[in-house]
Amino acid sequence: MTRTRAVRSIAWHLGALALLAVLLYPVVWVIGSSLKPNEEIVGSLQLLPPDPILDNYRRLADGIAGISVSTFFVNSLVLALGSVAGVVLSASLAAYAFARIRFTGRNALFTVMIGTLLLPYHVLIIPQYIMFQKAGFINTYVPLLLGKYLAVDAFFVFLIVQFMRGLPRELDEAARLDGCGHPRIYWNITLPLCRPALITSAIFTFIWAWNDFMGPLLYLNEPEKYPVSLGLKMFIDQDSIQDYGGMIAMSLVALLPVLLFFLVFQRYLVEGAATSGLKG
Amino acid sequence: MGLVALGLLASGCGSGDGGSGGKTEIRYSWWGAQHRADLIKKTIALFEKKHPDIKVKADFQEYEDFWKKFNTQAAGGNPPDVFQNSHAFLRKYDKKNVLLDLKPQVEQGNLKTDDFRNGLEKAGEVDGKLLGIPVGANTFGLFYNTEEYKKAGVTPKDGWTWKDYYAGIEKISKGSGKLAGDSGNASVMYLYDLVLRQQDKAFFTEDGLGFSKADLKKWWADNLRRTKAGHFTSPKKVQQARPKPALSGKLSAGEFSWDNFLVRYTSETDASIDLAPIPTTDGKRTGQYLSSLMLSGSARTKHRAEVAKFIDFMVHDPEVGKIMGYDRGVLATEPQFEAYRPKGVDKEIADYEERVKDRIEPITPHPAGADIVEAAFLRIGDEVLIGSTSVDDGVDKFFSEAETALGS
Repeated sequence: MTRTRAVRSIAWHLGALALLAVLLYPVVWVIGSSLKPNEEIVGSLQLLPPDPILDNYRRLADGIAGISVSTFFVNSLVLALGSVAGVVLSASLAAYAFARIRFTGRNALFTVMIGTLLLPYHVLIIPQYIMFQKAGFINTYVPLLLGKYLAVDAFFVFLIVQFMRGLPRELDEAARLDGCGHPRIYWNITLPLCRPALITSAIFTFIWAWNDFMGPLLYLNEPEKYPVSLGLKMFIDQDSIQDYGGMIAMSLVALLPVLLFFLVFQRYLVEGAATSGLKG
Repeated sequence: MGLVALGLLASGCGSGDGGSGGKTEIRYSWWGAQHRADLIKKTIALFEKKHPDIKVKADFQEYEDFWKKFNTQAAGGNPPDVFQNSHAFLRKYDKKNVLLDLKPQVEQGNLKTDDFRNGLEKAGEVDGKLLGIPVGANTFGLFYNTEEYKKAGVTPKDGWTWKDYYAGIEKISKGSGKLAGDSGNASVMYLYDLVLRQQDKAFFTEDGLGFSKADLKKWWADNLRRTKAGHFTSPKKVQQARPKPALSGKLSAGEFSWDNFLVRYTSETDASIDLAPIPTTDGKRTGQYLSSLMLSGSARTKHRAEVAKFIDFMVHDPEVGKIMGYDRGVLATEPQFEAYRPKGVDKEIADYEERVKDRIEPITPHPAGADIVEAAFLRIGDEVLIGSTSVDDGVDKFFSEAETALGS
């Protein structure tokens, strides 16, 4: 009895370790490659470099095409944190209306909002570009942030609505008896209780905004305004000398903020998703 | 609250356009990595010093991203005023009315078309319009690993034939046993183009394909046979090594490509790589032509004269030539070509172009849709070599895709 259990446990652990090895392999490859000289990166079969060098990281300190690497990071942070603030504020506000206020056309509007989730991004690219171009917002961060402040991300609105519907209405009613209107209830009662859902939205928004490539590519015309995702691509081009080493080193550095953000907030992530009725 | 925050952000970052003090501002975009950007920025600084009334805003991306962005901007009515272009895209974008006809600017004296090498000024002329000005030119060549060739006793010669070439490849593949003789050419459109030109045909005509299904069947079947015999590198290995080319990945002893790729090949491998002449069919014609990267203007630009002056400066100024070197191909005009003293790899490229100078033929512009055809040729050629598609099916598939793309 204990024997079969031990065998099962060993098999389970071995299986888990094998899976872990497969999952971690690309990460180890990237770390190993960042320590290799350029000509050994593509095509070399060794996972870890025989004699590791730090040249790739040193090159980062010199900046890319005359722009210091920290500029890209600051730009990315402005975009990512700006998006987080926008989404958390506007999505929760919209969600409050959908979850707590009865108004005519609420269900229809809710359906339309969910419907926007089905619209492929590529359909919107050109009309959106024309719109922002006519408004004179090209080469600013406005096209990348405006939507975030207008609750355009239906996914997060939906997430928070589901969460709010799970909150006891009695709290609202008690607050109303004490003389609170909707703004006070939203700000003092609902918002603090929604923390897990808000944090989930914040984490996803941060990661998506940090990794967004297409938006900044289309709307920004000056390398000085580029975020990290675009800066990474400056290292390579098919018909000139390629700097894979620099790109890989920078992508590792670029991973750190996302990783940190995730580590700090991850314990809320499960809570947020599990309690908002999204568990299926 | 959200709106307040947005207002702050907008005012913080929104000082994008609007030239200061009566300056004209033009936007200039190109594809390339940071090395090219460093060089171009120096040339822009030079231009701005000589034309204090014009300010140039620079922007660059990697090749594929460049065209993604460009297409969106062009569709949105906001393409850059000047941009790097390739000979292959002239008809495509002319058809969409994106390109500025530079002829009137030449007539007004803002842009000179003299002093170009080998009649290159003609390269941008399409259907009576002048749509691009070459900044540099390249021609196709055979890159080979000199040690492997030496070991097998193969010496590339001017005017050698395909028969000589394939005999040499066979020798190399059998000799050392390690490297195949050639990386495989089934999907290299530009090489097949040369082979066709040697037979008085061409890959593209004005508006369609310049060869028959039987021609392509022969080419692919021949390639497949040599791959199976081990004279060409196994296509699976070639794909595994990507993005590194098989030659610099030490999987083959030779590969056909544009001569400016020598810079890339030599930076990627410690093997000694050199350029050799393209094999011929009749001992004379290689079918080679000069292809070029160009500068084009946008049809929507509000500053046509400034755009023309900018292009003029970039292709004629000797200082610009000294800075750019052969980064975008061997310099297109005599003054720039003379001003730059090539060293190392650049010298080898210059020597090669000098050597094949007499074989250069005029270039024919590609029809609109050619880029889609090239992608299909690459994809289906690989499928045929790997064996997931038969030669006959592959040829049928390619012809039907090509005809759709070329809209005939």
